[in-house]
Amino acid sequence: MRRSFVLAAIAAGLATSVAAQELGAQNPGRPDLGAGADRQIQRRKAWEPTAPPSDPKDFTGIWEVPNPKIDLKQDDGSNPPFTPAEARSTQRMIDAEKAGAVITDASTQCFPHGVPRLTMAPYPIRFVHQPGKILMLHEVGHNVRVIYMDKTAPPKDTPMSFLGYSVGRWDGDTLVVETTHLNDQTRLDMHTSHGPRAKITERFSKQKTPQGYTDLVDVITVDDPDHFTKPFSVTRKFAFRGDLQANFWTAGLTEYSCEENNRNVPDANGVVTAK
Amino acid sequence: MKTLLLALAATAVAGGVALAADPWAEVPAAERPAPGAPDLSGVWAMPSPIRTLKTTDGKDPPLLPAARAEYAKRQAALKADPTSDPVSKCWMQGVPRLVYAPYPVLIAEEKDRVDLVYETNHTFRIVDLKRALPKEGPDLDPQWLGYSVGHWEGKTLVVDTVGLNDKTWLDYSGLPHGEKLKVQERYTLARPDRIDGVVTITDPDTYSRPWSTAFTLVKKPGYELKENVCVRDHRM
Repeated sequence: MRRSFVLAAIAAGLATSVAAQELGAQNPGRPDLGAGADRQIQRRKAWEPTAPPSDPKDFTGIWEVPNPKIDLKQDDGSNPPFTPAEARSTQRMIDAEKAGAVITDASTQCFPHGVPRLTMAPYPIRFVHQPGKILMLHEVGHNVRVIYMDKTAPPKDTPMSFLGYSVGRWDGDTLVVETTHLNDQTRLDMHTSHGPRAKITERFSKQKTPQGYTDLVDVITVDDPDHFTKPFSVTRKFAFRGDLQANFWTAGLTEYSCEENNRNVPDANGVVTAK
Repeated sequence: MKTLLLALAATAVAGGVALAADPWAEVPAAERPAPGAPDLSGVWAMPSPIRTLKTTDGKDPPLLPAARAEYAKRQAALKADPTSDPVSKCWMQGVPRLVYAPYPVLIAEEKDRVDLVYETNHTFRIVDLKRALPKEGPDLDPQWLGYSVGHWEGKTLVVDTVGLNDKTWLDYSGLPHGEKLKVQERYTLARPDRIDGVVTITDPDTYSRPWSTAFTLVKKPGYELKENVCVRDHRM
């Protein structure tokens, strides 16, 4: 109850700044958000790295981006190859945010977040291997992705949806997931739009960090000729959070009820007044 | 000789088919369900929706007087305005009501957990097969879906849930419950394509005694969960 309220508040906060949430624990001005929020923030403080399953093709367990950034900067720091129209659209959103507007998107209204917006969200993800499919159970907004491993293409007449249709295959020890049929009601990050022709390819693989820990690295390639002049890639690295699974209920995923206190509804002009 | 050869060939074919058909072969060995656990994995649905829970012997649940008054109030409100049902706010439906939602459920069986992934507003529960139920008391923060542990009893998955908030209804008719509610769900694999289910409700503030109600799930081979989204007052 209290926790859900807090999470809605955090979701609202996300709209303006993920960094603000991450820094909340160090911010002396942070209001008392209750035990749930403390847990949310506390677990992003110091935690002991644990080892994921040793099988390179076993992703089972909880993974989380330690330093989440919801942006589309490429590995060399450059912006994506926007079409002129998308460059203008993205800049409009950035300017509006700078001017004090709260940027809203599907995620801030309790809709499924879209791909790869969901993959970048600063919340843990639980991978589950099953016959014919791999599940990605997301804490944030109880988003569920099903990666179909027993298909080579989406079925005929697959509808457009917030999370699209995902087909997966193994390329060595790399899980390659292609997602299409994404509706155009989500953004790729907080500012940049995509169209219905978007194809998102994610390549997930376990990789050793310089410290000897094992990350799950996701190289995300966006191909959408209506918004970008050519395909481009962004990378996200997930840390294994065996500690969450060991120490908290529901395998380490906190119940996240966005719907309970969905206050972040935009007005007719698409403007949100954060409460 | 010929018979022997045919028998050998049959064995080879059977062996080959069995290998190719093992749906768990691609699941990492360390994550497969415990040997001997019944295979509930897959998508299941109720053949006919249940809107008003009855006890297993067909009677009305044993409501205490105050709860009976609350139930009557809810039913009158529902009649006047169907949106007085909390699910019309898109809130999580709680346990056991989620079990009765008219959409399929994907059961994902793991070594130490069973995940119940409901099509209904893409809601999932994670049932822990290794833990004991949390202790009751002020530290148990009530949740929409509570805290669930499970274990196997022969062909039956037994799921015990506590820590449920009191904002949800037990069913579509408005049967009430309090925060002392304990729910036990029993999923018995009666046939490879049918689960016989029993839900037992224990809530001393609401019901005069524990009571049970039955349900059936049938397998939906090849069915893929659809994206089901419930959001109130949205404007995209």
